[in-house]
Amino acid sequence: MADKIDIKNVAKLASIKLNQEEEDRLESDLSMIIEHFDALSKMDLPDDKISIHPLGMSLNLAEDIASKSLTHKEALSNAPESKDGQFVVPPSLD
Amino acid sequence: MANYKLPISQINQLFKNKELKPSELYAETFERAAITESIIHGHLELFQEENLKKALNSDKRYEKGKNLGNLDGIPIAIKDNINISGYATTCSSKMLSNYISPYDATVITRLKNEGALFTGKTNLDEFAMGSSTENSAFGPTKNPWDTSRVPGGSSGGSAAVVSAGSAIASLGSDTGGSIRQPASFCGVVGFKPTYGTVSRFGLVAFASSLDQIGPITNHVEDARLIFNSMKGHDPSDATSLIESKAKQPKLKNAKIGIIKELMEDGISEDAKKEVHKVAKLLEAEGHEIVEVSLPLTKMSISIYYLIAPAECSANLSRFDGVRYGNRVSGSTSSEMMELTRANGFGPEVKKRILLGTYALSAGYYDAYYGQALKARSMMKKEFTDVYEDVDYLISPTTPSDPFKFGEKSDNQLEMYMSDLCTIPANLVGMPAISIPTGLSSQGLPLSVQIMSPSNTDNTLLDFSESLESLVAFSDKPVINGVVS
Repeated sequence: MADKIDIKNVAKLASIKLNQEEEDRLESDLSMIIEHFDALSKMDLPDDKISIHPLGMSLNLAEDIASKSLTHKEALSNAPESKDGQFVVPPSLD
Repeated sequence: MANYKLPISQINQLFKNKELKPSELYAETFERAAITESIIHGHLELFQEENLKKALNSDKRYEKGKNLGNLDGIPIAIKDNINISGYATTCSSKMLSNYISPYDATVITRLKNEGALFTGKTNLDEFAMGSSTENSAFGPTKNPWDTSRVPGGSSGGSAAVVSAGSAIASLGSDTGGSIRQPASFCGVVGFKPTYGTVSRFGLVAFASSLDQIGPITNHVEDARLIFNSMKGHDPSDATSLIESKAKQPKLKNAKIGIIKELMEDGISEDAKKEVHKVAKLLEAEGHEIVEVSLPLTKMSISIYYLIAPAECSANLSRFDGVRYGNRVSGSTSSEMMELTRANGFGPEVKKRILLGTYALSAGYYDAYYGQALKARSMMKKEFTDVYEDVDYLISPTTPSDPFKFGEKSDNQLEMYMSDLCTIPANLVGMPAISIPTGLSSQGLPLSVQIMSPSNTDNTLLDFSESLESLVAFSDKPVINGVVS
């Protein structure tokens, strides 16, 4: 049986503010799903080489040369707030 | 047969013979959309006016015998998680309801180079997370065969518009079956290529090691045409494959394995019967049918629901209200981000982000995510070993025919189980296709799924085309009294 989920902590890590109803529902939903993972988590599996690419390929890095990309204006075109060519965000500290 | 249901090669021939103009086909497709869209809600946005000029330009090219490619003048619908410059890309989320893409996805650039026209953007489960389109922030799409039933998901809009005839073909994305499952539910062809053969640049990422763009079409030959127009290495996608030669499966006297674990509990009798029916047809053609066991496929739901949410929790961290997205004000940056994400994401997306965050968090990483990665490697080995003996694998595409709205939305595990047969192909990266083969006892479409080793996509498509001819499935849905 998996540990009880600390839903407030997980939501904090994920940067999502939950209301009480969401916390209750998600705690129950996630517990049910994680219980389903029990069989997998208890399997004895060899420590084989693990690849993130499903075909086991190494990632192809692009050549380090300048190429056409978004203009400054395009990059800012969907910003909720911008000023003097910069993204604007609220202060980091109170 | 209506022009919009003809194979693209035949439409192309009509264009070349001057028996049909691209602008006429474009008008016909939108006339069809005018009838079907209010019932089906497959498109989130239609581009009719904007693209009419492009259709007329296509007319001129055919008049001069200078068409751009085989897709010149063909109206194709695009799932709304693929960027087209100058148009909204909402991912069916409140978070991106005002987002206008400043660039084209690589697949869009390649289709534009072939002369394809776009009908519009299609509905999906929010950020491609779901199996029914019930998770769209803009309302669900309905199944053209029975509007009380879901079209599948997450590419439900893309499958429904092809089935209904308001697009000749469409693009979807497939992370755990999101092309094949809706294609099956809507009675059309859905193809997920080998991971990395089609660039993901410009596809809004859900789970980067699983996502793959592919076509949804009326005919297997259309899927081949669109796939070959889109594939090829793209330096903008680090996971894009450089084409390599692989041993190809046989087309004649092939050995085909029925996956034992995908014909057991949880699979409807109708779905099993369909596989046996197709196996008999293949046997009569000289192919050999055997049963194969791939024990880890039984674990695929658990493996997938650890890896996909883990990757999604990282990928969706970019939606923080800074560079794009509908921001909710806060007194500090972190408060703004928490409120923006609380307001912008729907319930299923929040659930998967939290699940992935939990699986990656300190103390749980090895037991869950690490274990899932190991099991994925083992599963890949199981498939590689089986392909030493067989050319293709066959299974139902979905455990059942299309379910009703609300039928599974309160039972998350049952909903997740609807991807049981499709997830393995994403986990091991191999190509897989869903081909409609018959109707269930309720008169709803059923399909089989054929899989082959990685990098054998065109051989799989050739084999599937011959199977399509053998099955000769020709039923079409009736919408508002008109057969599609």
